[in-house]
Amino acid sequence: MTVLLVGGAYQGKAALARQLYPALPLIRDLHARVRNELAAGRDPMALLDSLRGHAVTCDEVGCGVVPVDRADETYREAVGRLCCAVAAEADAVVRVTAGVPQWIRGEKPCM
Amino acid sequence: MLILVTGGAASGKSAHAERLLCENAAGARLYLATMQPFGAPAQRRIVRHRAMRQDKGFQTIERPLDLAGFAPAQRYDGILLEDMGNLLANELFSPAGSKDAAFDSILVGIARLQDCCQTLVIVTNEVFSDGLDYPAETVRYIRLLGQLNTALAARAEAVYQSVCGILLPIGEGERR
Repeated sequence: MTVLLVGGAYQGKAALARQLYPALPLIRDLHARVRNELAAGRDPMALLDSLRGHAVTCDEVGCGVVPVDRADETYREAVGRLCCAVAAEADAVVRVTAGVPQWIRGEKPCM
Repeated sequence: MLILVTGGAASGKSAHAERLLCENAAGARLYLATMQPFGAPAQRRIVRHRAMRQDKGFQTIERPLDLAGFAPAQRYDGILLEDMGNLLANELFSPAGSKDAAFDSILVGIARLQDCCQTLVIVTNEVFSDGLDYPAETVRYIRLLGQLNTALAARAEAVYQSVCGILLPIGEGERR
């Protein structure tokens, strides 16, 4: 099972992932991994395979003004595309605001 | 009919907007592109979007400015306008833009587009949440885009936000 938890920074995504999906290994801050991949000259989309079977948290970084810096723009685009790809095959996608989860795909697990 | 699709960068909003247009407009489809093709990222986006629209029967017209003066030679079943963020930036910051009249000019232009087609789908942008400080002209841009989105949503039959490629109806159907 793969679960994606997205939302703004510091919204309690990782805490919710542990609480809601305790059986799944957690990958935090996918956006930071994307930045690392780009810095290393690799395609962040190649991370997709490694995310399966995990609960993955990622900041939603696309809701600002187009960055002036080209590298920032590329980063923002890459995070968005990778999130679309993860979401497309995830069993659940949870949007987290102020610690409150909304299942925008799939359903709340039976606890 | 007016449908508004908003979302952050690379959130999958274009693909949903195209699908919505194809579902709601049977025959003649026009893609009105507002982005000026400057720079490598813009070029990449254009190539991506062209590939997505292939075989969907869209005529494409580039219209970075002056929707109010747009006079198409024919009527369309559907028009896809992409996107408001670029259109507003062009109107505010391009030499030929309408500058202080941008807000009104854009709304007049959209009313005109609605007269030219059965179904108008507009893609707009969420640029409101990075929490950064910007120069006054950028703050004005952000404010005007927010006001345009608000005005368009009030006129729209349906408003959606795309998140990670998932299309969310906004307002849970209470108003619509």
